[in-house]
Amino acid sequence: MEPRTLRQIRGAKELVEETVDAAALAINEAQRTITRMPYAVLARIGPIATPVRAIEQAHLKIADSIYFSIRVGNRLVGNMAGFVLDQLDAHAQRKGHS
Amino acid sequence: MVREKKNSINQPAWGATAASILNGCFGDYLNDRDNGLAIDMAFYQNNRPLELSADALPAACPNPTDKLCVLVHGLCCHEGVWDFPGDLARSYGRALQHDLGYTPFALRYNTGLPIPYNGQELDTLLERLLAVYPVPVNDLILIGHSMGGLVLRAACHYGTGRAAPWVGKVSRVFYLGTPHEGAGLERMAHLVTTMLHAVPHPVTAMVGDIANQRSQGIKDMRHGTLLAGGEFTGSVPWLPSARHYLIAGTVTDDPEHLAAKLFGDGLVQPPQAGEHVKLFPGVGHMRLARDEAVYEQIKQWCVSA
Repeated sequence: MEPRTLRQIRGAKELVEETVDAAALAINEAQRTITRMPYAVLARIGPIATPVRAIEQAHLKIADSIYFSIRVGNRLVGNMAGFVLDQLDAHAQRKGHS
Repeated sequence: MVREKKNSINQPAWGATAASILNGCFGDYLNDRDNGLAIDMAFYQNNRPLELSADALPAACPNPTDKLCVLVHGLCCHEGVWDFPGDLARSYGRALQHDLGYTPFALRYNTGLPIPYNGQELDTLLERLLAVYPVPVNDLILIGHSMGGLVLRAACHYGTGRAAPWVGKVSRVFYLGTPHEGAGLERMAHLVTTMLHAVPHPVTAMVGDIANQRSQGIKDMRHGTLLAGGEFTGSVPWLPSARHYLIAGTVTDDPEHLAAKLFGDGLVQPPQAGEHVKLFPGVGHMRLARDEAVYEQIKQWCVSA
């Protein structure tokens, strides 16, 4: 494979990785804001305010952990793809030298 | 049949097209991140960058003439935009070479970068081209499609500023569907993102943020920005030593039709009528870069005294 093609594939890999990471962060933030809206209304009702806040925290933690998992998985896949590209790069260089 | 022709002249493949679209949309981001998809400005031949050296250029130009033609594509495109759809071996550059002896050089560049930056880069590249070109150049014509016309104007401006030798060789500049007064579509995009941010809701704000990620090259099209620092085209004089020709199209065969008045060639409004302005009714924005009637007009202007 040509170095130029490999460089482009690596660029595409990095772009996908960065896009997924940024999208996960942005959607997570938007979801947190939207999630808080109904809980804020319910928390105004005195007798149920305490359990509502507890449920809200649990809800947010679950959502955060899902987005965190997506980002970690994305990073892992990216690292594996980077490793494969490094091997291809090294192979191409060896081929070029021989 | 078409596929065979396409392969024989080694036209840019889908990968190059996808990279060019990405560069147009997010080219400044790709450049900042040193991403491998970011396109470095170069003249391309057979889908490969030309090495601008005295040793390599003669091989790429086996029959150099003293007349050069430089073609600069528009936003999200590459040099393949010049190839005629029915005959991929034909383009304005190759036709001018055949008919009038102009040696063509087609540029490929990162259209997402600021127009002033690309103008400066092109200024430098043209100087290098003329320095290593095998024979002395007596005539240089520039053809820019859409954003390419703005990049050419910026290059001429920066070249004039530092008295670059290539500037004096430019006899004619052709602008095909170039938004000298700014592009309505980008003004609309700017308005929409502003409105999305004005709505106090996280989802609209997020959509607005995403839309705002579009490249600086696109944003520069809003006013036709040519110079760093936000000065508009109106403040940049046209290269006085050259003749400037404006070619425009309309979406309908009738240029007086409401759709033509509203949408111009689909992306850019036609300029006001003038001596060096030619309107091609029914020719859309992209077709301006590969149309026989447009070529005949360019040729006619090239041979005119």
